[in-house]
Amino acid sequence: MYSKLWQNHDLDAADLTSGKTPFIVIPNVISEYTCASLSEKILKNYKTVPGPGIKNKIGTSLGSHIYEKSKYFLNSKKSNASIQKIFSDSHSPLKSMHQIISQTFQKQVSTASENEMSYSDCVIRIHNAGDSVHLHRDNCNFEMSDYTVSKYKNQLSAILYLQSPERGGELTVYDEQWTRYDERSRQPDFGYSFDLVNGVSYTSISPIVGNLVLLNPNFYHKVESVYGGKSRVSVGFFFGESSTSELSCWT
Amino acid sequence: MTDIIWGTVTKIISINSFEMNVSHQKDTNNDSYQDVEEIHFTEVNIPSIPVDEASRNVSDIEQNLKDKFVKCEISGRNSENRLVCAVSHSGAGGY
Repeated sequence: MYSKLWQNHDLDAADLTSGKTPFIVIPNVISEYTCASLSEKILKNYKTVPGPGIKNKIGTSLGSHIYEKSKYFLNSKKSNASIQKIFSDSHSPLKSMHQIISQTFQKQVSTASENEMSYSDCVIRIHNAGDSVHLHRDNCNFEMSDYTVSKYKNQLSAILYLQSPERGGELTVYDEQWTRYDERSRQPDFGYSFDLVNGVSYTSISPIVGNLVLLNPNFYHKVESVYGGKSRVSVGFFFGESSTSELSCWT
Repeated sequence: MTDIIWGTVTKIISINSFEMNVSHQKDTNNDSYQDVEEIHFTEVNIPSIPVDEASRNVSDIEQNLKDKFVKCEISGRNSENRLVCAVSHSGAGGY
């Protein structure tokens, strides 16, 4: 099992990018009240779409458009407008996430762009009762070489929990990193065979409201099944080094 | 119905053929396939690989296909015992 120290955000951020530390949990990034009001707004008013590995999300992602670059940027524009509307009349969790990441890494943080077109700011993921996410890793270096962000170094993932389910929904992170050879264990639609993590140690991260997880997504991970009537709601994006002083985000 | 197999590309043979490790086969396939098959691709739904064969080279194909997980829709076998297929990338390893 991982040391509890790995959940201490005072650790050197370089440990996260190098893979020495698979994740960092930063508690209370935004208030429970803000999380509750945002979740209510999201669940009552916004239409979700399915994506790779997930049934309900708001916002687009590269994984849905690996070879449809024009469509991705068109959808990103719509997606960003829709998400800005959700966050318009309350404290923006995106702003808080950017600020914390900026402080942690001592770099400027903004949404990535390519040929003056903005990438998608974030994705809101909603997991209802029975939903889970199969074992996977996220890294656009390998699969999405048509996009500029695939060239960014030290790619990481940021996930902020807005609503916890009654039970389940933990993020399980395995102590095993992806290599090219693992493509032999891919599943046709999404993710990888569990054979890759058989007997491997892991840590389960509870989706606690207001907590921000910074994850090195090259480590295999999955989301456990959600139980009960309350959905698991999270906001997430990826970020990487676009220059020595800047981090750029996308989904 | 077209037979479909999935797997990773292990070796590029030419500008229109490669060797693959077959890891998945559609349940309703009419034929069964070897663990390693050679593929002759007649169509490739990967934008960075030119449709025009004259514009391709092995190095480009290698960059785009080597070690990648692909889906092959099979239309038959050619005289070299290669499966004749339409090839595309399949799914995603993550978000």
